[in-house]
Amino acid sequence: MNDLTFAKIDQTVLDTLQPPDRSYWVTVGILFIGVLTGAACWIYQILTGIGVAGMNNPVAWGTYLINFVFWVGIAHSGTLISAILHLLRAGWRNPIARAAETMTVFAVCIAGLFPFIHLGRVWLVFYMLPVPNQRNLWQNFQSPLMFDVVAISTYLTVSSLFWFTGMLPDLAVIRDRATGLRKKIFTVISLGWTGAHEQWRHYARGYLFFAALATPLVISVHSVVSWDFALGVVPGWHTTIFAPYFVAGAIHSGLAMVLTLMIPLRKIFHYEKIITTGVLENVAKTIIFTGLIVGFAYATEFFMAWYSQNPLEMAIFKYRPTGDYAVGFWIMVVCNTIIPLLLFFKHIRTSILWLFGISILINIGMWYERFVIIISSVSRDFIPHAWGLYSPTIIEFGIMLGAFCLFFFFFLLFVKHLPSVSMTEMKEILEQGEDHVG
Amino acid sequence: MDRRTFLKIAGMGSVAITAGCTSEADKTLFSLVHAPDDMVTGKAAWYATTCRECPAGCGIIAKNREGRVIKVEGNPLHPINCGKLCMRGQSALQRIYHPDRIKTPLLKAKETWQPISFSKALALLKDKAAGAATKGSNRVRMLTEIEGESLLKLFAQSLKKWRSSGPLVFEPFAYESLKSANEKVFGLNGLVSYNLQDADMLVSFGADFLETWLSPVEYAQKFKDMHALKNGGGNLFFHISPYQSLTAANADQWMPCAPGAETAIVFALINEVLQLGRGQHMPESFRSLLVRTVSKHTRIDITRYSGISAEHFQMLLSRLIESPMPLILGTGAGSSGGNDLQTNVAVNLLNLILDPKLTLFDFVNRHRVEIAAKRSEAIDFFKELKEEPLGMLLLNNTNPAFSLPPGSGVKDALKAKSLFVVSFTNVMDETAQFADLVFPVALPLEKWGEYEGKPGIGGTLQPAMGRLTNAPDIGDVFLKTASEDASRTDTFKTYLFKHLIQKGGIRDQKDRLQLFRQGGTYNPSPSGRWYGTVSHSVADVFNKIKASLDSELVFIAAPSIRFFDGRGAYLPWLCEIPDPMTKVAWHTPVLVHPKTMVKNGLSQGDVIQIRSQWGQLEAPVYESQGVRSNVLLMSMGQGHIAHGRYAQGMGLNPNELLSPEIKNPLNGPEFIVHPVFIQKTGRTIKLAHTDGSRIQHGRKIALSVSLDELKHAKPHEKHGLTMNDFPLTLPLPEGYDSKQDFYPPHDHKDYRWSMVVDLDKCIGCSACAAACYAENNLGVVGIERMIEGREMSWIRVERYHDPEHIENITFLPMMCQHCDNAPCESVCPVYAPHHSKEGLNNQIYNRCIGTRFCSQNCPYKVRRFNWFDWQWPDPMNLQLNPNVTVRSKGVMEKCSFCVQRIKEVHGLAKNKKRMIKDGEVVPACVQTCPTGALFFGNLMDKKSRVRQLVQDPRAYQVMGYLNTKPAVIYLKKVVQKI
Repeated sequence: MNDLTFAKIDQTVLDTLQPPDRSYWVTVGILFIGVLTGAACWIYQILTGIGVAGMNNPVAWGTYLINFVFWVGIAHSGTLISAILHLLRAGWRNPIARAAETMTVFAVCIAGLFPFIHLGRVWLVFYMLPVPNQRNLWQNFQSPLMFDVVAISTYLTVSSLFWFTGMLPDLAVIRDRATGLRKKIFTVISLGWTGAHEQWRHYARGYLFFAALATPLVISVHSVVSWDFALGVVPGWHTTIFAPYFVAGAIHSGLAMVLTLMIPLRKIFHYEKIITTGVLENVAKTIIFTGLIVGFAYATEFFMAWYSQNPLEMAIFKYRPTGDYAVGFWIMVVCNTIIPLLLFFKHIRTSILWLFGISILINIGMWYERFVIIISSVSRDFIPHAWGLYSPTIIEFGIMLGAFCLFFFFFLLFVKHLPSVSMTEMKEILEQGEDHVG
Repeated sequence: MDRRTFLKIAGMGSVAITAGCTSEADKTLFSLVHAPDDMVTGKAAWYATTCRECPAGCGIIAKNREGRVIKVEGNPLHPINCGKLCMRGQSALQRIYHPDRIKTPLLKAKETWQPISFSKALALLKDKAAGAATKGSNRVRMLTEIEGESLLKLFAQSLKKWRSSGPLVFEPFAYESLKSANEKVFGLNGLVSYNLQDADMLVSFGADFLETWLSPVEYAQKFKDMHALKNGGGNLFFHISPYQSLTAANADQWMPCAPGAETAIVFALINEVLQLGRGQHMPESFRSLLVRTVSKHTRIDITRYSGISAEHFQMLLSRLIESPMPLILGTGAGSSGGNDLQTNVAVNLLNLILDPKLTLFDFVNRHRVEIAAKRSEAIDFFKELKEEPLGMLLLNNTNPAFSLPPGSGVKDALKAKSLFVVSFTNVMDETAQFADLVFPVALPLEKWGEYEGKPGIGGTLQPAMGRLTNAPDIGDVFLKTASEDASRTDTFKTYLFKHLIQKGGIRDQKDRLQLFRQGGTYNPSPSGRWYGTVSHSVADVFNKIKASLDSELVFIAAPSIRFFDGRGAYLPWLCEIPDPMTKVAWHTPVLVHPKTMVKNGLSQGDVIQIRSQWGQLEAPVYESQGVRSNVLLMSMGQGHIAHGRYAQGMGLNPNELLSPEIKNPLNGPEFIVHPVFIQKTGRTIKLAHTDGSRIQHGRKIALSVSLDELKHAKPHEKHGLTMNDFPLTLPLPEGYDSKQDFYPPHDHKDYRWSMVVDLDKCIGCSACAAACYAENNLGVVGIERMIEGREMSWIRVERYHDPEHIENITFLPMMCQHCDNAPCESVCPVYAPHHSKEGLNNQIYNRCIGTRFCSQNCPYKVRRFNWFDWQWPDPMNLQLNPNVTVRSKGVMEKCSFCVQRIKEVHGLAKNKKRMIKDGEVVPACVQTCPTGALFFGNLMDKKSRVRQLVQDPRAYQVMGYLNTKPAVIYLKKVVQKI
């Protein structure tokens, strides 16, 4: 990083905001078509009924909630990287913090869509909002789904504000160099940032407090999501390990997604000098750690099932690795706990290709983790006569495709219109060295 | 634009938009604009009439709301069914509202159907009949389903006028062998009834008296009177047959035997009891004849080739000898491989030896179906018709083209151009397709009539609603066409009244009113004894015993509890409710033993081709240990090529494999065919079955207790927290204990509704499910959705096999448990599941947004989600119960304990300023349960029936250890160690 200068940082980052070429717009266009496909599927579902998806009795929750949990999980690492690592003064997070935060904001948005898609009568979703009304409708705050509403909306608010606050000085940099309409827009959104000493002082304190505020949210949001399951009575769900297990899993998947996004970003925008292999290596090391936690959680679940000697618990944990969804289970175990162990080898965790491959596999594995938890437990719960299997339909795949497209659509728009690396924070490292940020 | 204009435009605009939006309100909420004086909107009128779904003749009362029949229930005054009804009876009203019901007469014109008016059809009928009559005698022939005496008399009179002989009463299940056996042994060509309730041991050689045999609702009640736990219990029931019917599943022991081996088994039993010195009362000559006949059937022999095990035989014999009052029943429709008659004769003799007075036989109160013609007569009828296809054929609500095997020549006979075929039917069935004129007539729920299920039990029929179509009563059709005097204004109604007066049932109008009000005269004669002597002629039937079918593959067609002979296959409820034994709905699988499956490399759902000498079928395989290893079993009723949208192309018709040949001396059909060959087709289908697993996986769901254990049981001494020792926790404050409960108990006001389910009485017949479909407007989802697992039944009968003794089956009706600690209530974000003051777990449809969390969290998986807007094709919507909301897509629903009925009774009680009495609230399932396995009442009332029943040492709660405190308390099934 030694050959970086303030100007070079500015230059590299601002270069990414140059008018894009045609291939960019083609990609954006294709993604948009994907989004439309998803939207069309959803509209069809609303008009026809949830039955167009593959859910049934007993499996009344399907890919919509799998995707919900998956995207909430993805949303975790952004704040972890930008807030917790900020508080821990891990300077290596600076180059990737912005992109990770952006990922968070978009992932929460996508995640927030899925409960809507999931609802049988989405047009009445406002029943879940505690607003006074003449029908005397009130919400059941005992319900984990109400927890979700509160937790997700708080998380979205805080992470968006945190993201925006961190971006302020950079927006001003762009404003200063922009012309025309662009200048006007950036003038408004940079909120009159002048770089005055007083402003920097407030900014630094504000950012720190935000980080402190966001930190408990990282833990709480996915804990709350886990209670959707843990507060149910279903064997395989009803367990106290779920909150830490879900948080660890969320960070695991989020870090993997960070790698999945950073590696192409770094390549396309020539960020090699800013997002160095060292940074990626540090992410990889964290993945080893989270992977081990997740693996430990898997093992603990099995141990507890055996230790409880509860026939229902034992049955479900026997069913997962051997039953109808065994393939999903083994994808989950291998991708989430075995494959990350490869990162113990230095040449693997420093190889961009390996890292990229492994990150994708972890993403797949984490998706299957949610699949296994959500589907397998209810498909074989208490009453054997009512057991049944579930498989997603083409509509669900369409909506899933739409969700992924929407995420990358947003992300692509972001990287070309806003600074995807925090110039401010890069300069901080340059000035103070990696260990003295903050 | 200034502020004022903006406000004006905004104001006008919003008014315009609001005015423009209307909800699509139903404009015809009430069917009558000017109601009759005595009709109170919202108050039901009940009409007593008689069920005509099978020949049993149960009494029903039809509930009429605002001019539409919306529900039928058993008539509590009627001695045959005592207020109970089977699922076929419950579904009878769907015939009225069937979307494929024919509305006007259809005349065949060049292979197409031309609708004509009723008057034109009548004129045509009259012309054709008169024309045929002038050409010669016996030119107008008639085949009818079994009908009441008055109508049959009218048919006969009319046919006589047309110079023809009387109608042939055709029933696919005519019990020929039983009738002939009674004739051979008792000299009585009829179908005696049995006082099952007084027996202390029952043995059936295939008679499926809980499903279709003679009078299933009546016998189900009598069977449970005899068999359910009472005064110490101990009465046994053994079933010996090649396949396990629902009846066999309710036996203490099902003893599989080779098809056709029943005769030999009965002989061996006779041999043993004769050796023990029984039967001394018989004339010596006859006794020695019998000894000679049966002596070759030794017990060792029997166990060698009949398929029955030595243990089973010994068990059967020793219990029979010990029993003071045994009753042995003969074969069902699809049992004995060609030895039906012999078995039934032998069974009669065994009864005679064991109980010389035949106390349990009732020779007077015989079943009306005995008047049905034998199958041989039906076959001859069509043979004659084919030889001389002249004149006219009248078919009254009968479908021989479907019910008779294809080789019987029915279609050929009907196709003849020179024969004018008239089918009186309401649906285009296989037979009507070949008719020249399809003439819709009033359905039993729409017409006057009488039907005497047993002598002295003269059930009456009266219209329970106005007509949806202009179809006349068939009686009127005959009166109008056969009468010489065209100006005659007699209706069948007056004809019927005259008939009733002639019979002596009624004298004046007051009597008549009383008669129709209560649905008939109920003066069953006292049981009639038999004072005859056995004729020696029985011996000759024994010369013709066929060898049992021990090794080759045998195909058996069994009557269906759902469709009977097939007449019910077009009623969506019957298709939708799964078969009690296989839990397969809509499809007709072939049941194959696992050994046969392994031998042929089959797995469940594989489509196999079954070939017999007479035809072939491609059927999906269902793995079942309820058939002998060489038996393929298929139930009858489906596989229609016509018969309305719900029946057409659905399932299979096993008749296609059966032999059309009728043999002497049986003169009846054989619902069994051999040899058959099977071959894989390579195709596989997903069966529409509703069961996830056939066993309980040790989960303590459907529990049983042995009689010995029960004798020493102390009530509810458990105090633990695990599956095995969790106590019974009533959904009342006393069921709460600080050791296991965090939250305080609910505060119920006056009532805490609760249901008790006695598993010892449940026979698994699923009548409750049908009643629920009718009462609560449940959606029929159809075969595809069923395969996807989206059935909407609020109550289902779970069937669990004992993994160690797979033939032991426990049925468990499962519905919403209305828990006090309901897992569904706490997880809903919008309080859609709501705990009422009376303990009900109400589902508030308007509030539900469809998160489905409640269903996920329900340990009993009884919640049903509306995945789509279910369809009630016009005019099926008219049958909906106006007291129950029709749920739209995206809403969760479930059993409500028939809250609408509770509310209704609340209103009554409030008017009279009193509390609701015990037994006053009767949910639909409880109302119809033929064996009285369900009880409903208020747990807070210490004297209520349910409160007393929960003190029973057998009481338990399903998954009670989850501490959900269910309000449905089950009583364990009592099993006997034999």
